[in-house]
Amino acid sequence: MIQKKICMLGSFSVGKTSLVRRFVTSEFNEKYHTSIGVKVDKKIFRVQDQDVTLVLWDIYGEDAFQKLQMSYLRGMSGYFMVADGTRRQTVDVALALQRKVAEAMGTVPFVFLLNKCDLADQWEMDPDDEKNISARGFVPLRTSAKTGENVEEAFIRLAVAMLPK
Amino acid sequence: MEANPIFESFLAAQGLALFEYLGKGSFRPIGAFPSWLKQIWGDEAVRSKTVVLAERSPFLQNFLLDAEQFWNTKSSGAANSGNWIERGVDGVETPLEASALRLDGKKVLLVRNSSAAFAEQTQWLQTARDSVLDHEKLLREIQKKEILLHCIIHDLSQPLSAMRGCFNCLTIGDLPPDLKPFVETGQRESYRQEQMIRGVLEAFSGDLPAQKKSQANEPPATADLADRALHAVRNLSAAFSAKRVRLQLDPKLDVSRQWICVGDAPRIDRIFGNLLENAMRYSPQNTTVTVGVEEKGALLAAFVDDEGPGLPPDQPTGKLFALFAKGKDRPGKAGLGLYFCKMTVERWGGRIGAETRPSGGSRFWFCLPRAPSGSQTKTVESNPVAPMGKKEHEASALQTAPSPAKQRVGKAARSLRILVADDTEINRELAMELLKARGHSTVGVADGRQALAALENAHFDVVLMDEVMPEMNGLEATRAIRQKESSSGQHQVIIGLSGNATKEDEKRCIEAGEDAYLSKPFDMHKLFQVIESSAPETAGEIIAPPPATSSDSVAAHLARSAAGSKKLMQSLAISFLADAPKRIANIQSAIAQKNAELLATTAHALKGSVAIFGAAKAVAAARNLEAMGRAGNLEGASGEFRTLEDELSGVKRELLAIGAKPGKKSRPPRRATRRKRRK
Repeated sequence: MIQKKICMLGSFSVGKTSLVRRFVTSEFNEKYHTSIGVKVDKKIFRVQDQDVTLVLWDIYGEDAFQKLQMSYLRGMSGYFMVADGTRRQTVDVALALQRKVAEAMGTVPFVFLLNKCDLADQWEMDPDDEKNISARGFVPLRTSAKTGENVEEAFIRLAVAMLPK
Repeated sequence: MEANPIFESFLAAQGLALFEYLGKGSFRPIGAFPSWLKQIWGDEAVRSKTVVLAERSPFLQNFLLDAEQFWNTKSSGAANSGNWIERGVDGVETPLEASALRLDGKKVLLVRNSSAAFAEQTQWLQTARDSVLDHEKLLREIQKKEILLHCIIHDLSQPLSAMRGCFNCLTIGDLPPDLKPFVETGQRESYRQEQMIRGVLEAFSGDLPAQKKSQANEPPATADLADRALHAVRNLSAAFSAKRVRLQLDPKLDVSRQWICVGDAPRIDRIFGNLLENAMRYSPQNTTVTVGVEEKGALLAAFVDDEGPGLPPDQPTGKLFALFAKGKDRPGKAGLGLYFCKMTVERWGGRIGAETRPSGGSRFWFCLPRAPSGSQTKTVESNPVAPMGKKEHEASALQTAPSPAKQRVGKAARSLRILVADDTEINRELAMELLKARGHSTVGVADGRQALAALENAHFDVVLMDEVMPEMNGLEATRAIRQKESSSGQHQVIIGLSGNATKEDEKRCIEAGEDAYLSKPFDMHKLFQVIESSAPETAGEIIAPPPATSSDSVAAHLARSAAGSKKLMQSLAISFLADAPKRIANIQSAIAQKNAELLATTAHALKGSVAIFGAAKAVAAARNLEAMGRAGNLEGASGEFRTLEDELSGVKRELLAIGAKPGKKSRPPRRATRRKRRK
């Protein structure tokens, strides 16, 4: 069976752990628990008529207290760059991080997620912001780990990008 | 590595698992497996003599590449993996940490259960991140409130702009005397409301620290406290009468002396206003509210006494002045009035308080420091309709309305083409009306996009650009204009208009590339001054004084042209009397020579000099001669010339009649005189 390493990257409290949890166990916890270190999960996922084992590396969020160790990304086939659509500054962190990863790892497929789309009344991204992200060549996908909206779609999109054409 | 019972016991006691690397991914456990590792990897792994660690954990598989690199480089110290979490066969998650070491020349991997340190680390990191999130949330809340506040201020300013514009327009024409006091009251009150809106914005906006800083470097504003008390009584006595409450100035107050304190008049007015409105709410009918000022040591104290129920005994006085505090039975409004008073008074180094009077009723008071000696009262912002002071009030007893001439709109020196971009139709039209009355020509558009289109099609000397507009706002339009100018090298004068009035708004407008900034509602004199001083020096056409009507005398026109200066009047008259015969002779000569070009030039020159004195018929004749010259057709020129001569004779007669003497023209320059003598 094909096995693919996927890393979850982004600022802290953007919902990386919740997205993995939603995808792997279909659960969601409202309370924010900060992640320290790395947690690895696996899920067999059927995409394009084949089973793929996704090895999900949920890596702690980057901020002033914890910096990303590039060695964790070794061997990854793709990654999610996650931002919180209710906190505009997490998009800036994600964009900066994406550049850093691209410099260190070269071209690796990734999907840009704007998470917490269920919090429409707190949404800070306007269409122009999303256009600016798209202008860099990646189309952001709005997701909600809470409702599950577009979570599976995100994994399908990444898996398709990772699998040989 | 040989087994050592003491060492193994030490490892077990410390919760450490030690593996010796055998090569090809295989490891040999040293000593017994710790119980926590048994729970993670299960009994099968424990029974084996060798373990392929990469198969046990994807994280370790990744770290072993780093570990091998470390072992191969033979460096000292250790390579650490950082924390990772392993889920055991029972589902329990355990935080682990691994280190690659060299012990006794052997390649060793140490795996430790980091639960205790992990819990501690998690706790402080969670606290730190929660604090960051709370801080971000708070900033967003503040930002939202500021946006809301600016929206409210903007919405309040729009109708106020219209009101002030209407009053300004009313003052342009000749008002019937019985209406003048009403228009002046409207002007004064709309100005007062504008000051209140600005005050609220300043007091509650995020600009406050910056303002405080800037104020710290300026000498403090001062005002006459008794003057302001009198002003408050005068302004609110009608409202009190309507509620059958008498409002009076303390009879013991000596208004003839000066009561100069620190503080600016508009804010002191608001403090009095808030305290008096509060007193009015609690005063029963047929009672009296007294406003007074007295000395209190180094401070001057103002008080408002009412004959109401007094302060509630169960409510601490300090709470009355707290944010959103409302009185008993909540008859107040938003609970901001007294809070504003407290903030303002304390900012000036004063105090504020309230107490129940022994004789019944309550006293609200505030104390302000006396002004430093030698300081004079000054208002923070000059305005032609600023609230009246004590002396003005005394004068107003004799003459109820200030001179309407003060509000007349004089003509500008140059007629400018002005583009007015404002989405609020009434405000746009009022601004255009005022500018037209001033002698400018205007075109109105409703948004930034239309402004850009208008500038594409026509030339404008000045653009008046509102900040908030649909489609494209004023700042965006300004940036687009500046962007275009970066290649053309031209510069369009743009004056920003905003319903918001903070320094931050002004800064934003200037940063966007606007040349100047006006906050709405604006005073018409300020509007003219900013526009006319910002326009390029060569812009527009010079406006000639209006042609004379039959009732206008030469003397009256001359006085207007000279702005009433007798010296200038004399000088203009003398110059004209000296020069006119030569100019007339030149015109006559041009006609005789049939020189059309010369006729146009000489008639044009005479037209300019005679227009100063009205003389409509002379101006018209000169204009006709000029037109003939320009057209190259001198038919009828002699007839026009005769008319011109006749009219100028009349002007000359009138000038001589008012005392102008042609012989008094200034002496020729000395050098020219000497040359003449040599000849």
